[in-house]
Amino acid sequence: MGRPVTDGRAVSTGKEVAGTGRSSRPPLPPGPGSATDYPSGAARRRSSPFVEFALKWGSGLLAVVPFAAVITMLVVLLDEAMPSIRYNGWHFLSSSVWTNGDTYRTIVHSGGVAHLFGAEFGAWPLIAGTLESSAIAILVGLPIAVGAAVMVVEKLPAKIATVIGICLEILAGIPSVVIGIWGALTFGPWIAREIYPTLTHLPNIPPFDIFRGSVGDGEGLLTSGLVLAAMIIPIIAATTRDLLRQVPETTKEGAEALGMTDAETFRRVQARWVRTGVIGAAILGLGRALGETIAVALICGGQSVVASNIYGVFNTIAATIVTSLDSAQTDPSGLAVRALAELALVLLLISLVANIFARVIIRRSAKGAVLPVGAGF
Amino acid sequence: MVNPFQLEATPLFESDRVSGATLLEHTDIMHAHQVSLGFGGTTIMQDISVGFPRGTITALIGPSGSGKTTFLRSLNRMNDKVRDFWHHGQISLYDDEIYSPAMDPLVLRRRVGMVFQRPNPFPMSILDNIVSGVKAHRMAKHSDLRDIAETRLAEVGLWSHVADRLHDSPFRLSGGQQQMLCLARALAVEPEVLLLDEPTSSLDPRSTEAVEELVHRLTPGLTVIIVTHDLNQARRCSDNTIFFYEGRMIETAPTVELFTRPERAETARYIGGELEPTGGPERGSP
Repeated sequence: MGRPVTDGRAVSTGKEVAGTGRSSRPPLPPGPGSATDYPSGAARRRSSPFVEFALKWGSGLLAVVPFAAVITMLVVLLDEAMPSIRYNGWHFLSSSVWTNGDTYRTIVHSGGVAHLFGAEFGAWPLIAGTLESSAIAILVGLPIAVGAAVMVVEKLPAKIATVIGICLEILAGIPSVVIGIWGALTFGPWIAREIYPTLTHLPNIPPFDIFRGSVGDGEGLLTSGLVLAAMIIPIIAATTRDLLRQVPETTKEGAEALGMTDAETFRRVQARWVRTGVIGAAILGLGRALGETIAVALICGGQSVVASNIYGVFNTIAATIVTSLDSAQTDPSGLAVRALAELALVLLLISLVANIFARVIIRRSAKGAVLPVGAGF
Repeated sequence: MVNPFQLEATPLFESDRVSGATLLEHTDIMHAHQVSLGFGGTTIMQDISVGFPRGTITALIGPSGSGKTTFLRSLNRMNDKVRDFWHHGQISLYDDEIYSPAMDPLVLRRRVGMVFQRPNPFPMSILDNIVSGVKAHRMAKHSDLRDIAETRLAEVGLWSHVADRLHDSPFRLSGGQQQMLCLARALAVEPEVLLLDEPTSSLDPRSTEAVEELVHRLTPGLTVIIVTHDLNQARRCSDNTIFFYEGRMIETAPTVELFTRPERAETARYIGGELEPTGGPERGSP
């Protein structure tokens, strides 16, 4: 259906639109999809009441699932861990000794909790190890991931960018046990031999003398942190890359047309556009690093001690749970398993705190320049 | 006035007026000489020679695909990054060839500003938007930035609307207000020439009127070159009009003459509405 000829003439000579600017849009031709498809006054066909009911309540129920899952997890863990909480108290967070007690002596009771003689559960080295290894992973992984994403989107030709994108996806898909065994057998020994001796010459960061001392044989904090970094880089890089691709070309051109350099344009446009999203991606990565189990278990050295320097052996909460559940189940008093449940509870709380912290940062940085809907977070 | 550039600019403009309109009419601030443009094997524009008199408004008109926008974007080298872009001939700002190695494209773009079809505010507060170019070119002290923002927002008539939300997001403003913000942002770096690429094609009639009124007010202190699809807009607000058709410059004349007594048959047919029955905007749609 064409537009009436008279209308076309009126538009281009523009006699009737003087002073009104661009009012020259032709009226929509009546066609499929327009209101005239329905006989006037007839009711539009509606979906059945059952479907509407199911959609409304079904989606409502599904929306509650994540919330309910978190709450259930907290309550169940709290219930499981309660004897351990009563037995250890705050000591759990500050003590460095972790032992199930003497299996060959009879079970004793103190404060209504059955336990083995000499049982002591102190998670301090595990909490510190979890936080330290994740911090190294973020400190190393975040700049590399963001840098790689920027290169892929802004600098590299499309073909290379595609290849790198595929590599990122493959890297993200490698099972962590494979990365763990590679880290323990190949990467750890190599980097301890070739790189770590050089690092010992790095200046001190007071008050911690972290780079000095024995570099070990590659099992320890720094190796674990680096391997964790390799595991979170794909998550952060892929998210950052996708966010950078969403930055409108017109906005970048606006900066260019003001005479800004590429670097200034990036700082004022792209960086601000993706900022909140990158923080979100970093928290996803942090969550993975905090909870990563098997790879760390293979590389950490398995000692429940606070690492003496950055190369030192240590252990994390997740790795401890997976490596000591077996022996904990041999504790006839059952308290050792409860202590592991308390460890799990602590890990859950650390993740929750990290998430809340991230939300605060995102809210802060989004203030003043709320992006259009769909951009960033 | 706290803005140091305002102090510089004011006497300059006054002396222009004193020396008379003849100077303004006969000095070309920008000049294109036998310019051809294209991408790869495609030629977009051929053999364009035209001058833009200082302090005037020039409208570039022509059907979709006639190359107006490509030509406009060449005037501040916005095509530099487009793949396979090439050009022949000279484009000069005063006596300086803009494509010569001696010309810094960043300085060129500060002197020859540009506003686009759609408003493109930066993802930062309204205040930061206005002064972002000023900051990039280090044109003012930090303490003067707020005053510059106020001056420029007042200039485009936006100050009363945004005075109490300078630190808010620009994306909450209406489309017309966002485009005014972009104009204020472009004006804040004190350009000598302002290129407008269909600046009102996504705006409502009232905002369009406000933009046209502003452009009028800015001359003769500023030279404006505007690509428009709206013949009425060209007729309403330009001093000179250039008609492009199929990659060639067909006719250039004072606007009144071009619209009342076009010399070339193509011009007459275009302004008579025969060459472009669709009448839509060049790219995208409002």
